[in-house]
Amino acid sequence: MNLAQIAAVTIFIAMFLTIVLAERYLPRHVVTLFCGLLTLAIVFGLCMRSIDAILESVNLRAFFTREFWYAGSSSGEESAGINWETITFITGMMIMVEGMTKAGFFDWLCMRLAKLVKYRPTPLLISFMLMSFVLAMFIDSITVILFLAAVTVELGRLLKIDPVPMIMSEIFCANLGGSATMCGDPPNIIIGTKLHYSFLDFFLNTGMIAGISLLLIVVYFYVMFREELNSEKISEDDIKNLPDPMSLIKNKRDFNISCMIFGAAVVLLVTHSITGLTVSSIGVFIAALTILAAGRGAVKLVKKIDYETLLFFIGLFVVVSGLELTGILDIIAGFIGRVSGGSLYIMVAIILWISAIASAVVDNIPFAATMIPVIKSLSATMGVDLHILAWTLAMGTDVGGSATPIGASANVVGVSKAAKSGHPISWGKYCRLAIPAVIIVMLVSMAVIFIRYC
Amino acid sequence: MEGQILISLGREFGSGGHKIAQELAKRLDIEYYDENILDKMFGEESDLANEMRDYDERKPNPFLFRRVRGYSSSMEEILAENIFDFVRGKADNGESFIVVGRCGDVILRDYKRHISFFVLGDMYDKIIRVSDRCQLSEREAINEIQRMDRMRKKFHNKYSEIKWGDSRGYDLCINISRLGVEGSADVLFDFIKRRLEMIG
Repeated sequence: MNLAQIAAVTIFIAMFLTIVLAERYLPRHVVTLFCGLLTLAIVFGLCMRSIDAILESVNLRAFFTREFWYAGSSSGEESAGINWETITFITGMMIMVEGMTKAGFFDWLCMRLAKLVKYRPTPLLISFMLMSFVLAMFIDSITVILFLAAVTVELGRLLKIDPVPMIMSEIFCANLGGSATMCGDPPNIIIGTKLHYSFLDFFLNTGMIAGISLLLIVVYFYVMFREELNSEKISEDDIKNLPDPMSLIKNKRDFNISCMIFGAAVVLLVTHSITGLTVSSIGVFIAALTILAAGRGAVKLVKKIDYETLLFFIGLFVVVSGLELTGILDIIAGFIGRVSGGSLYIMVAIILWISAIASAVVDNIPFAATMIPVIKSLSATMGVDLHILAWTLAMGTDVGGSATPIGASANVVGVSKAAKSGHPISWGKYCRLAIPAVIIVMLVSMAVIFIRYC
Repeated sequence: MEGQILISLGREFGSGGHKIAQELAKRLDIEYYDENILDKMFGEESDLANEMRDYDERKPNPFLFRRVRGYSSSMEEILAENIFDFVRGKADNGESFIVVGRCGDVILRDYKRHISFFVLGDMYDKIIRVSDRCQLSEREAINEIQRMDRMRKKFHNKYSEIKWGDSRGYDLCINISRLGVEGSADVLFDFIKRRLEMIG
C-alpha cells in the first residue's frame, strides 16, 4: 500500500469510528465534512499532489454537463466524487414531502385507510404494511415511518391495541418498499445515479424481488402476531373517539396541490427512462412546483430541509472518492474476485450476505457508497454483468438494515416513536422478530438472482 | 415550611443517600422519587415500569444506538428524557419533592427554590452497607460499588457539564460516615430551612 492509500483508509476508518463514538459531541455531517476536507488536503493534495483528483472528487463540473439534466438511462460519464445528482434529487423530494406534510396528506392517508378497514386489528396490520411498502417506494422511509408510527401509536391508544406489532411490521415494509425502486432508499438513489439505472430498471428487478418478499413477509408478521391481534376487541365507542380523516386536512387547496405534485413526481420517475429526464431535473422540477405553490410559505418550507443529511452525503462522497481514486476499492474487489474463484454464484452470495450483515450494524448509506466502485471494478475485472451485482448490493444493503434497531434510519425513528409513547422495543425483542424476516428476504433475493440472472 | 421545595440528591452507591432522602421527605412532608419514579410514571408495579428498570440511570452503549433527525433508538436516552420531562412537569406544577439521582441537580438547576446535595461515604461504611443489603462478600461489594458509581457517573456526565460528585455543582456535599444518617439528615434539614428563608 502506498502513502495515499494508507491515508485514505485511515481517514475512512476514523470517520466511521467518530460517527459511532462521538455522535454527542460531533454531529455526523460535521464528521464527514471534516474527513472530506482531510481527504482533499492529505490524500489528494499532499500524497497524490493531484489537482485533477481534487476537482474530480468535488465534481462541481457535473452541474454543467448535459447528462446531469437530460440523458438516456445508460449514458453519461462516470466519475468518482460527490454525487450531485443524488443530492439534488433528495433535496427536491425533501421539499415535496415537507409540502405534503404541511397539507396534512400523511395523517389523512393513514386515517382514511384505517377507516376503510373499519379499524379491525388484522386488516389494519396488513393494510398499514402495504401502505408503508408503497409509500416507501417513492418517499424516504424516515418520513413514512414518522407518520405511520405516530398514527399507529394514536390508533393503539384509542382502540386499546398494542402498537408494537404494527410499528415493527411497518418499519420492515418501509425498508422493503424502499428496495423496490430507485428513489425509495438512499443506497438505491446512489446506485442508480452512479451506475445510470432508471426507475424502471430497479422496479423490474429489485421491485420484483421485493414484491415476492412482501407476500411472505405479510404472512410472517401475521403468524407472529396473530394471537395478539385476534385477542383485541374493538368497541363502537372506541371508534367514535377517532378523528374523521377529512378533519386532518389542514388546508384543502394545499392538500389538492400536494396530491397533484406527488402524482407528477411518481409519473416523472416512472417514465424518466423514456423522457430522458434525470432524477436531478425531476428533483429540481418537483421542488420548484412545491415552492411556487407554497407562495409566501416557501421560505419556511426551504428552511425545513434536512441540511445535515445533505452535508453528511457530500462529506461521505468525498471520503469514499479517496478510497476509489487511490485504488483501495479495486484491492477489495480483487479480494472478492479471488475468494469467489470467478464463480458468479459465490460472488452474489458474498455481496448479498456481507451487505446485509454490514448494513445491520453500520449505516447502509456509507456502506453502499463504498461498495459501488467495488462492484464496478469486480464487473470489469471478472467479466460479470454489472446489473446483477447492482441488484444484489441494493437488496443486501436495503433489507439487511432491517435486522437491528440501528441498521436503517426508519428503524431508529420507529423504535424511538414507540418508546416515547410508552412502548419500548428492546434490542432482543426487535432482533428476534426482524432477523428471521431479513433471512427470508435474503433467501428470496438469492433464489431470484440465481434463477433469473446466473 | 411554606412554598415549593425542590431537592435533588446525588449519591455514591452504598452511602445511604436514599435513606437520608427518605428521612428528609418525611420531615418535610414532600414526595420522594427514587427507583419508584418509574412506578409513578408508568403505574404501580406495571410491566412497563419493570421493563424500563433495566434502562434507568444508564448511559447507552454508543455501538448499540443511533440518532436520526433528533430521534434516538436508545431506550436509556428515551427513558432519561421521559424522566426529565416528568420531573420538570412536577416542578412546573408547583409540587414539592425530593429526587434522588437521575440528574435532578441538572434538570432543576434553574429553579429558584431548588437545593442540591451530594451524599458520599467512607469506603468501609459503604462496603458494610452493600454487603448487608445485597448479601455480598467484601470483594463483591467493592466491585459492585465501583460498578454502580461508574454507571451513575457516566449517566450524570452525559447530561451535565459539571461532573458527578464535583462539589462546585452542588449546594452542599456531605460525608455520611461522619454524622450517620440521622445526624446528616439534621444538617441537611437545617440547611434547607435556612436556605429557603433566605430565598423567601
